Amino acid sequence: MTKEKKLSITIDNKKLEVRPNITILQAARENGIYIPSLCAYEHLPSYGACRLCVVEVDGLRGFPTSCTTPVEDGMVIRTDTAEVRSLRQEVLKLLLSEHPASCLFCGEQTECKNYQGTIRKVGVTTGCRYCPNDDRCELQLITEKVGLTETSYPVYYRGFPVEKEDPFYDRDYNLCILCGRCVRVCNDVRLNGTLSFKQRGKLTTIGPAFDRTHLEAGCEFCGACVTVCPTGALSTKVSKWYGRPDTQVGTTCVYCPVGCKLILQVKNGETIDALPDYDSPVDQGLICVKGRFAIPEYVHSAKRYTSPQRLTPVGYEDISWDQAIDDAKERLSGIDPGDCLVMVSPQMSNEDLFVAQRFAREAMKTEDIFPLLISDLGEDLIPFLDLVMHASPFDVIGAAQGILSIGFDSTYGFAPIGIQVKAAAKNGAKLAALNFYESNLDVLAETAHETEPSRWAGMIDSLARAMPENGAANVVIIGPDVVFDPGRGAIFNKVIALRDVHKWKVIVAHPYTNLLGMLATGAFPGIKPGEALKKGGSAAAVKGVPVYPDLNKRRKVVYVIGEAQIDAAPPCDYLIYQNGLPPEGGLQPDLILPACMFTESSGTTVNAEGKVLPIQKAYEPFMKSQPDWWIVSRIVERMQKKAFKYNSVDAIQRDMKRQIKGFFSMKKGLEFGKAGGAAQSRGKRTMKNREDRYRGVPLASVVTGMKAVEERRRHE
Amino acid sequence: MYRKQILKKFNPALDNILYILHDLQDNNPEHYLAKEDIRVCADYLGVPYSYVHSVASFYTMFSLKPRGRYIIRLCDSPPCHLMGSQSLLDYLKKELKVNVGETTRDKVFTLELTSCLGACGVAPAMMINEEMFGNLTPAAVDAILEKRRKEL
Repeated sequence: MTKEKKLSITIDNKKLEVRPNITILQAARENGIYIPSLCAYEHLPSYGACRLCVVEVDGLRGFPTSCTTPVEDGMVIRTDTAEVRSLRQEVLKLLLSEHPASCLFCGEQTECKNYQGTIRKVGVTTGCRYCPNDDRCELQLITEKVGLTETSYPVYYRGFPVEKEDPFYDRDYNLCILCGRCVRVCNDVRLNGTLSFKQRGKLTTIGPAFDRTHLEAGCEFCGACVTVCPTGALSTKVSKWYGRPDTQVGTTCVYCPVGCKLILQVKNGETIDALPDYDSPVDQGLICVKGRFAIPEYVHSAKRYTSPQRLTPVGYEDISWDQAIDDAKERLSGIDPGDCLVMVSPQMSNEDLFVAQRFAREAMKTEDIFPLLISDLGEDLIPFLDLVMHASPFDVIGAAQGILSIGFDSTYGFAPIGIQVKAAAKNGAKLAALNFYESNLDVLAETAHETEPSRWAGMIDSLARAMPENGAANVVIIGPDVVFDPGRGAIFNKVIALRDVHKWKVIVAHPYTNLLGMLATGAFPGIKPGEALKKGGSAAAVKGVPVYPDLNKRRKVVYVIGEAQIDAAPPCDYLIYQNGLPPEGGLQPDLILPACMFTESSGTTVNAEGKVLPIQKAYEPFMKSQPDWWIVSRIVERMQKKAFKYNSVDAIQRDMKRQIKGFFSMKKGLEFGKAGGAAQSRGKRTMKNREDRYRGVPLASVVTGMKAVEERRRHE
Repeated sequence: MYRKQILKKFNPALDNILYILHDLQDNNPEHYLAKEDIRVCADYLGVPYSYVHSVASFYTMFSLKPRGRYIIRLCDSPPCHLMGSQSLLDYLKKELKVNVGETTRDKVFTLELTSCLGACGVAPAMMINEEMFGNLTPAAVDAILEKRRKEL
């Protein structure tokens, strides 16, 4: 690439060297010069709606908007002359003529902020404290910057009813200033097209066509519109009255293996909201409904355990950690290796998984580690692991010429993958979609089939033949509907053939978040730490072979870590249940150990591309909850096994570095060896309805809005 | 399906959206853009449903409500206003028992207002479907409406 020639421009008498092909507004912002603007947003196309960013440019007639005017060499720009200032004030006055402005122009504003001197009731009546965006509003900030202290126009109140019928966010279009950010983010960034302007002039509103609800209109509830809204028109139901957050913590979403970055908004030791990071390399800020809206209600659910509990004949009794660990120790000490089974979940961090497998292997001397997915997949486990361990990074979609999507829909999950597919299809890639129901990719697909999953395997060959000749430029995406279908084995084998014979790229959108981390850290029956990883570039087979634990044999103790579907565990005398929320089904655990959520404990997770991503602790654990590794480590300590003793995540990571070569230092992501082993049929469940879960608990059972979303997904 | 035939006349390019919508509206038996019309247009052009709705709701020449067989467009521009279009409007409202934008109960007439028709010389003027009428008086309007009713 040739080096781009810099342009020299002058802004407010300052000589600047700027990149070509940017707008005046971008040039100014990059050089720390403030120009007010309401409709421009960094990741959205220029629009020029609010007219607040007007500037003076020598040689250009009138006052061009800086967000739509590209810089040219030798431009002389003035952003802060008296004329520009008065023009901006006038523009803002007109904007505010349709926006309730009592929070902006009030004689008591400063006092009110400092002492809350105004009686609450007055604020509610005049509207100044009736806006969910109060104190974090861009409009308030801009009014201050533009220096507007009063308005000469009467406020025209449009009197729309607040729309509350949809899940997750409310819409009060009386506060809307029609900047079009939400429409642009919905259409141009999310490629979804739920929102548009309706009518014109003063009748203009924003919403889906024909007053349908957002749910009916195919809204993904990605919340991008809420994120970009500069006013209080759009607000998250859960967090709307919280005001400004205390801190922000960047972490990784653990609801699916995409590994989107989230910026948790923390107030008073609680997550109040989760925002996307548009600069994140993994997901480009294209998070889905689960990451955007399903976190606060889950991690602060009222059902969370507050303390360790022991089952007594008259119900559960709260006990101290000391007693709980004693109880666990007593049951676990001195039993045969075959009498204990440890159930783990792919939604735990690598560190927790590593400690869990050490517990099983070193303290209990057993290989019976049981991730539920073995049961889900049964005899199709090996081809599934083969596909997952050699999946391509998501950005292959961008360069693909042909895309085959099977059982994949990105409306309520896997959004970064789905949006990349949509973008590729818009740029001319050939897209074929195979689904049971209509998928959100069908509109852009050249061929879209809605058929029974049992017919998919038979259709793959003919669809693949219609794709471009060069197999290496083609991508096949397998969605969760394949993973949960009983006929998946045939589909897996066809896809493996496409990959091995025709060099197709494969992406698997499965629900097992940290499955790769599970394999790498050895929290998998038959595969020890590091064995699954490729060594020294050779494509050697994985040393360990997945084994299937016997799920029918009665155990003395079953220790469930981070999983709620305990009905799938083998029968046992004593059930230790370590999780944040109560289990599903009728089984009553004998001992309950309250565990942390991913917002309360640090660690790492591995996404579907093999990238090791950080999970950050955002605040202290809820009540008496403790991280998984802490609990397991304390039990081992009490059992007087000298196996290990961890007091911090750092110590675990040091051991992981030693045992798993290159785990934290792979630049491109983890690479896995070839999975081997004979298929054994041990599947005892078929998961007909796939629900989004975290640590085994369906999100829909805890998060209010997810129920509506789940029903919509199942086309009820 | 007549809609398919209409679509076939145009390239599936976004530039054609207004032509397509006009054609769909003209051929709709109720002279409006039904949800189905918006749907086929969106699918044909490969743009979101909401986008086509946004275009259709922006332009006043498109209607999203069913309209009558004869669409009366009375000019509302200053020259016609000076020549008494306001009293004609009141007369039409009374005669048809509808407000602006509404359709008579027998689904024959729809009353609409329009900007200048370019017939200021014969103000006040109105159009019924594609036909122009000028120098209107209540009596003239009566005769015109009566003729339409007879044509049914």
